[in-house]
Amino acid sequence: MTKPQDWNDEELLSRLGVVLDDADPVPPEVVAAAKSVVPRLELELDVDTIMAEVVFDSASDELVGVRGTREATRELTLSAPGVEIELVVLSDGARRLVGQLVPPQTGTVELTSGQVVRTTHADHLGRFTFLEVPEGPIRLSCRLDADGQVVQTNWLVI
Amino acid sequence: MTERTVADLLAAVVHGDHTAFDVIVDRYVRLVWSVIRSFRLDGETAKDVSQTVWTRLYVHCGKIRQPERLAGWLSTTAKNECVRVLREQRRQVPTDMTDEWALGSTPASDESIVEDEMRRELLEAFAELSADCQQLLRLLTADDDLDYTAIAEIIDRPIGSIGPTRARCLDRLRRIMVRRAPTGDEVMDSREE
Repeated sequence: MTKPQDWNDEELLSRLGVVLDDADPVPPEVVAAAKSVVPRLELELDVDTIMAEVVFDSASDELVGVRGTREATRELTLSAPGVEIELVVLSDGARRLVGQLVPPQTGTVELTSGQVVRTTHADHLGRFTFLEVPEGPIRLSCRLDADGQVVQTNWLVI
Repeated sequence: MTERTVADLLAAVVHGDHTAFDVIVDRYVRLVWSVIRSFRLDGETAKDVSQTVWTRLYVHCGKIRQPERLAGWLSTTAKNECVRVLREQRRQVPTDMTDEWALGSTPASDESIVEDEMRRELLEAFAELSADCQQLLRLLTADDDLDYTAIAEIIDRPIGSIGPTRARCLDRLRRIMVRRAPTGDEVMDSREE
């Protein structure tokens, strides 16, 4: 066994690390509390989530043509207290979803289609885009950076 | 099993995977705790600060721009919260953490008594160091991911000063140990393998 004066810096530091861990370990309740953050906040988040309702849909507001034909462009407006989400579904070639938050603001936007969830960011003008959006039901969830408010849509068939 | 990257874990949390958050907590809880304790907050306040840091991580987990620097993000967040709390408390005298430490609490059953004694000596010598040295050494032992850049940010010192200060503090620690245990050599020698 070596003596303290013989320990080099690395050995001294590593021994100190062990000793400090032993004397002042992370209390188990600190670990448990940290892990409880997610379920607790999700509960709060659910309460704070507001739903955005469809107030305009070009597919239903336009005169109904022959059933089954698809417009190359479909526009939707969803409204929630304090914020609107404008959506354009472009179907010329690869289907993509272009969105706009009104008033313009940044946020994290999630697109759920089936089991797949994709995330993007709305830029400072409130714009966001999802490329190659599959057909079928989708749902959008947007966490606004300004106040952390979550705005969610019901399932939309696009 | 390959270890999941922090970026993967954060993305999983964003998508509602609770277990991914638990993995992150397990990975970094010691680092966060060490940073908080390096500011000499008492146990209860330290727990509050810890909870604030983890809550903040969850709220921001979709917005961490450099996932590979998560250790730095966590330590900076912990530091800012510690500074805020200390300012609020306007405390003149920081808590002497070593009072709360249970010296030699670990049973010596599977360890040599000499090793145990040396640990006690090391801890007591550490307690004699200046607050600044204690903080720096504590941070240096916290986590491999806590690099000099992050440590410099936490203690508000130029990054170039960390190396020299580290050497100076360790030298002091070594000298305190030698001074405190002048007779310890005999005990150690008798146990030498």
